Parts: sequence; structure tokens; C-alpha cells
Amino acid sequence: MSARIRGALPSFLIFVGVLLVWEFGLAALNVQSFVLPRPTVILAALVDQADLLARATLYTGSEVVGGLLVGCGLGVLAAFAAARWRTVREGFLPMGVAASSIPILALAPLTNIWFTAESATSRMAIVAVLTFFPMMVNTVRGLTQVDPAALELMTACAASEGQILRKLRIPNALPYMFTGLKVATTLAVIGAVVGEYFGGPLAALGVYIQSEAYNFRYNHAWAAILIACAMGIGFYVLAILAERVVLPWHASERRAEGAQLGH
Amino acid sequence: MNAVVELVGSSKTFGAGRAATVALQGIDLSIGVGEFVSLIGPSGCGKSTLLRLIGDLIPATSGEVRVNGKPAAQARRGREYGIVFQAPVLMDWRTVDRNVELPLEISGVPRAERRARAAAMLKLVELADFGGRYPWQLSGGMQQRVAIARALATDPALLLMDEPFGALDEMTRERLNLELMRIWRSTGTTVVFVTHSIPEAVFLSGRVVVMSARPGRVTRVVDIDLPQPRTAETRNQERYFELVTTVRAALRAGGADAAAAEAEGLGTEPADAERIVAEGLA
Repeated sequence: MSARIRGALPSFLIFVGVLLVWEFGLAALNVQSFVLPRPTVILAALVDQADLLARATLYTGSEVVGGLLVGCGLGVLAAFAAARWRTVREGFLPMGVAASSIPILALAPLTNIWFTAESATSRMAIVAVLTFFPMMVNTVRGLTQVDPAALELMTACAASEGQILRKLRIPNALPYMFTGLKVATTLAVIGAVVGEYFGGPLAALGVYIQSEAYNFRYNHAWAAILIACAMGIGFYVLAILAERVVLPWHASERRAEGAQLGH
Repeated sequence: MNAVVELVGSSKTFGAGRAATVALQGIDLSIGVGEFVSLIGPSGCGKSTLLRLIGDLIPATSGEVRVNGKPAAQARRGREYGIVFQAPVLMDWRTVDRNVELPLEISGVPRAERRARAAAMLKLVELADFGGRYPWQLSGGMQQRVAIARALATDPALLLMDEPFGALDEMTRERLNLELMRIWRSTGTTVVFVTHSIPEAVFLSGRVVVMSARPGRVTRVVDIDLPQPRTAETRNQERYFELVTTVRAALRAGGADAAAAEAEGLGTEPADAERIVAEGLA
């Protein structure tokens, strides 16, 4: 444990150093506070606006969770179909690859028309579309990129297709699915917050950031941005923790590399 | 029906038409109950392909392959053999004992029986204390012993081994050879063992089947008349060195045959011949 603390020490020191330079350096350089407020000013705004920000965080968080569940759920289902049927795979995978280079957020004004801007469903739809493809592409990879020797072993054991799926393909796909999930959580928070820039109730992080910046209350806007950042990191960390719980062998395998027993 | 493995005029051709490659041609081989037979030859001689024909992992193009008196496909579906590959092919997400249980799970053996059987197999390969570990916590040699335990879990009449110790260092390999002999004696399983190590083939086998490439065929079968049980002492016997020399000579003769055949254009694939002509013209 002490080794882990020692390992984290440099990045912690750099973090504190940046905060100190930010706090005292801005004044020395005469930077105006509307350009970049000092950390203590942002912190004060955070406390001052705690009520509204808490509601906004819950609202935006619910869009992230809702969108992730729908997008990842459908992504996994599509992946199983794609892994099972070649025609589905050939139809879907190029789309998945293409979708990663499409600015899906450009859809936001349209989802606002479909579901109305006031409804969280509008952002959930964007988040769902954003997260569907990384989840599907990664899951397909995990289900299909199986060690050929392991498949031969299953054939030698006269395993059925269902047994091969349950005992080989799905466990093999789990690490890939968590990779997809980690990408998806990052995209989901971006999707929800930026989606809100195109409309929504005031108690939503994106709407709040926009309106406060528009009204020159940059300290408030910064407070909400800080929360959005924390939310992104938070969901990512949750995904990593879930991976540790579900795949103890996978996480510890990476940690234990090179630390094998002797003969 | 005394033969566990019987091949009659078995051939295997990969691809079709001009791109066709004859991997094996006219293989006749009969392996009796409890025999330990090694297949040895240069890379590309089809020894691994031959093992896969026996295991029905790939179908023969022509000829007959019988295991336990049945067609190979039927024997595979009846789970009548165990197999060990060059890589251990253990599932990272399963502990060692659950890896050994895998074939039993697939054939629907009840849990309690599976547990007992896996424990017995791990004891046989001297890994009784490692059942709860994950594969990545074990050394390469230990992982391969787990793979052997898994192959023997269903108590098969036949054990197929595809260069199982090829990726291990020499010391580990020699120790595992001794251990394999002990396991073979205690289980009485028939073993077909693919290797490209001459000393290994001689040390382990009752018979060494020498193969040559292009097309893959059996050029000679060397009887290994070293006394049983084979121990570390076996490797010091004069007869052991003589047999190593015999197998080496047989391999070289097979290689010379293949070279001669190639020179006459017999062993050369049409595509190759064409390319040579084209290059000559250029």
C-alpha cells in the first residue's frame, strides 16, 4: 500500500502545484477573473450554488445512466447477433466503424424535436446512440477473437455451440466489453452535457453552464464544468471498479505479470 | 479389435485445384492398446495434421481413420480421446481445478464427481496443492501439466499430444518426459505424441514413426527396444544413443528422398514449377 502511495505522489504534487500556480499566479500576471477565475472563487461558487448544482447533477447523471443502459444493452444484443450471424456482422460492423467518425452530437437539435428539449429522453437518445457502437464493436471482437486452439479443444471435447458460447466466447468477451464500457462512460457524459447545450431544463449541467456563461457569471459556469469533469471521471472509475469485481482474474493478471511461481 | 488407432490409406489435401497442397499421402498406421507412439519429422511433414485427422479436428480427404474401432468422427463425439497442445490453452478465468473439470462439465458429469476426478488428476500430475490457483500464477511447465491433467480427466482410451513440451526449456522438458512416462505407466492410456525432438521421441516411445515432407508420408517406423520403465538412467544407455542415431539417419534418409523426389519434379507443386520456369525465362 505504501508503494502505491509513493507511486501516486508525483501526480498529486503536480496537481497541487498547478492549483497553487493557478491561485497565485493569475493575480501576479494580472489575468482578469472572467477569463479564468481562481480556484478559491470557483470553490465559493460551488458552495453558493450547491442546491441547484446538486439537482442539475442528478438530472444530468440520470441522462447518462439511462442512455448508457439503453445504448450498451442494445450494443451487446446487436453484438451477439453479429457474432452469431455473418450477414448481421457484415451489415453492422462497417456501420460501427463509420459511426465512430460521425459527429453524433450534431443530432442533438433533432432529438430535441423528436422528444422535446425539456425531456431527458432527448439526451438519453443521444447518449444511447453514442455508446451503442463502441459497446457493440468491442463485444463482437471479444466474442469472435477466440484462441483457435481453445476452439479446437472445445471441438475435441465435443462441446455444443451453446457450450462454446457459455464456456469460451462469453468469458473471453468480458474484458473487451469492459473496454467498450469504459469508452462508453466517457462518451456518455460528453453526450449528455453537450446535448444539454441545445436545450433542456435549467437544473441540468449543460443548460446551467450555457446560461451562466451567457450572463457573465463565469465562476458559476466553472463550478458546473468542474462537476461535469468529476462526473466523467466518476463514471469511468465506476466502470473500472465493476471490472475488478466481475473479472478478478483479469485485473490481477495484469498486476501479477512477471510475478509467477517457480516450478 | 486390438488397434486403438487405425489409418488405412489416409490422405489430406488442403485447398483445391492448382492451389492444392498435399499434406499427407497414403498413411497406413496401426497403434495398439497401451502403445506409446511418436510421430517425428521436419516441419511441414504433416505430423500435426496426422494427429488432427485422428482427433477428427480436420477431416481426411480420402482413406479411413478409425479410433477404438469406430470412425474418427464418432469417436470424437463419444469423447474417447484427450488432447494436449503445444500451448497449455488454459482458460484464464478458471482456476486450475475448474480448468481440469472443463471436459467433464461439457460431458455433463455431476459436480461432486467432477471435483473428485479433478483432484485425483491434479494429484497424478503432482499439482494437488495448486487447484485453487489461476493459470497465470503457474510456470509454463506447471501449466502444461494442468493441460495433461485436463486431457486425462475423462479417463480416455487415447491421449493425443501435439508437441506438448516444445515451448519449454530443455531442463523442464526432460523432467516432464520422466513424469509423462510415470503417468503413462499408471494410466495405461495409449499415447500418440508429435515431436521434432529426436531424443524425446526415443526416450518416450515404443515406436517412432518417421515422416518426410511434400507430400507428408511415413518413411520408416523405428522400434524402440529400450527396457521399461524408462528412467533418467535410460538416457545413459548405449542402446539409447544407438537408437537416437538410427532415428536421425532415418530422418536424413527421408529428407534425401524428398529432395530427390523434388529434383525429379514429383514432390514439387505445379504452382512452384511454374514459378521456377517463369523465373528461368526472366
